[in-house]
Amino acid sequence: MPALLEIRGLTAGLQGQRAVTEVVSQVDLDVQAGEILGVVGESGCGKSTLAAAIMRLLLPPQVLQSGSMTLRLKDGKTYELLDLPEADLRQLRWRRLSYIPQGSMNSLNPVLRIERQMTDTLIQHGLSREEALRRSIAALELVNLEPRLLDSYPHELSGGMRQRVIIAAAVSMRPALIVADELTTALDVVTQRQILQELAAIRDELGATILIITHDMGVVAQIADRVAVMYAGKIAELGTVNGIFESPLHPYSQGLIGSIPREGGHRVEGLPGEAPSPWNYPAGCRFHTRCPHVIDRCRAQVPALLPQGDGTWAACHLYEPEVLSNA
Amino acid sequence: MTANAEARAGASAAEGQDAERREVFQYALRRFGVYLFTLWAAITVAFFIFRLVPGDPMNILLGNLARAEGRQRDAEEEEALIAHFRQIFGMDEPLPNQYVNYLRKAILGGLDLGPSFVEYPTQTKDLVFRRMPWTIGIFTTSVLLAWIVGTGLGALIGWLQRSRLSKLAVVISTLLQITPVYLVALGLIIYVGYTWRILPAGGPYARHLQPEWTWEFISSLLTHAILPMLSNMIVIGAGFTLGMRALMISVLGEDYLTFARAKGLSPFTVLKDYAFRNALIPQVTALAIIVGATLNGTFIIEVLFQLPGLGTLFVQAMGLRDFNTMQAVVLFSIFAVLTLTLIVDLALPLLDPRVRRTA
Repeated sequence: MPALLEIRGLTAGLQGQRAVTEVVSQVDLDVQAGEILGVVGESGCGKSTLAAAIMRLLLPPQVLQSGSMTLRLKDGKTYELLDLPEADLRQLRWRRLSYIPQGSMNSLNPVLRIERQMTDTLIQHGLSREEALRRSIAALELVNLEPRLLDSYPHELSGGMRQRVIIAAAVSMRPALIVADELTTALDVVTQRQILQELAAIRDELGATILIITHDMGVVAQIADRVAVMYAGKIAELGTVNGIFESPLHPYSQGLIGSIPREGGHRVEGLPGEAPSPWNYPAGCRFHTRCPHVIDRCRAQVPALLPQGDGTWAACHLYEPEVLSNA
Repeated sequence: MTANAEARAGASAAEGQDAERREVFQYALRRFGVYLFTLWAAITVAFFIFRLVPGDPMNILLGNLARAEGRQRDAEEEEALIAHFRQIFGMDEPLPNQYVNYLRKAILGGLDLGPSFVEYPTQTKDLVFRRMPWTIGIFTTSVLLAWIVGTGLGALIGWLQRSRLSKLAVVISTLLQITPVYLVALGLIIYVGYTWRILPAGGPYARHLQPEWTWEFISSLLTHAILPMLSNMIVIGAGFTLGMRALMISVLGEDYLTFARAKGLSPFTVLKDYAFRNALIPQVTALAIIVGATLNGTFIIEVLFQLPGLGTLFVQAMGLRDFNTMQAVVLFSIFAVLTLTLIVDLALPLLDPRVRRTA
């Protein structure tokens, strides 16, 4: 079955005075219909740039350099997201493709009532006022909010409620794909857990596909079906949640899993060093400066993301056939 | 929902509305208290500060009288005259008594601010009322027009911040904003008024006309008003443009703007409901602040364009140390500025729901 969203060779960067600094390099990623795919990585690894690029919300100095993104809907329609003119893109947004932004605390306009902010888009997408209102109420009920919240202003709501309003707004047109960028970061763990449960329930109810961007392995473990581990603008490993948590392949994933506190008095092992910033990504494998298993070719050659069986993909020279046979 | 629960929800909604109305009322009341206090403080400061200006009005008055009559009086006669005038102007008592009398007459005596020296025995109140329409007309109209034009222009160049035309507009506005208003006025008088002779550049209306409701008089009045208003508008408008541009740019970086675009709203809706509406709130406050800061510029313009407004009256009164008139001009200017500020402040809760709670 073809993927709902097929990303190929996506490269995006920051426009400087003279040159463009690559932030996300040659990302290939398939998002399957109906799944929740988590993208994890440290701060500054390019996950938010990836999310903004998918939504085509990059703002100068961010620039999209190359790549393609194909959205294949169940009804057979196919869209090349990067070639779409603005007007068509506007039609696609919210109806097919929604976005739950990072910093949801400030994502609602403080001077407009919730009702206006939920319905204005629906009305612009061709719904009548009554229908828009009815859908907004239904969406609020999906996230366990009362309809009378529609009369409130954002500052009258708590952080968790605001986040729920945003989720409700994002699902009100039953989009095929929801891109959620750090949606629980500003919330306490209890609220975080509830919201993730609600999101999973929404996926089951609407049959939506969710791409969730986070730095929190706990979030991924709780909600995602598959995980893409990002490091320094590239995907290091892609696999099922169980696969990556039980037997991570890429040394970076191993480091990430090793740094999660566990029961039983295990010592938490952090990764030595710091993630490189886009201005000084190392040549070859970008992880080689911190990798405990570094070999010569890591310094010279960029590893490709290759299938390793069981639906796991890793971009690491250690798992390339000729290296494995030498060992 | 049961009927009972529904009724309860309705009742609580009504209660919420009542609470909101009460809060708005309290805000207005508090704001009005501040208004009265400021007015009183301003009158008091004006009363004492003018009496610190060196020069006794009586000596100036006698000097003028002597020049007009062409003869010197002897000391005894002078003493008698001064005593007489002091009594007329209420200056024969100690300063604190004068202050109390002044306040008492002003508040209880129906704005009785005493006679003017400038045009004795005309009441200061009448003098100010006669001159005020000129100042209010020029000032209010030019500030409001400057605000409307500046806000629109600033929003536009902020929205199109990366275009070349926007950058040029910023340079031009910055240059205009730092130019003193009298230089702009002088430039307009010299070039537009005298060198090119496009518009009249002096006086309130053509010399041969009398104030009456005829088309000839009104059109003369309006053409004479263009240059003074333009001087004020150019400088203030440039400031408003730059202010609004900065506000727009900071709003454009807000998360809710990204979200609005992600929702698939049309650029016009994003501009109107999310960017402009939010940037407008501080811009309205800026109007209130600028109103106070630019009235003195209008006074200078009146003098330069020979308009019979409060500015020219003030300059005349200054020459005679006419305390009554100076105080009256200050009193009415402050009254006008504070009233405009009050209106703006009371309008804010309509624009910004957050002010209703926190103010």
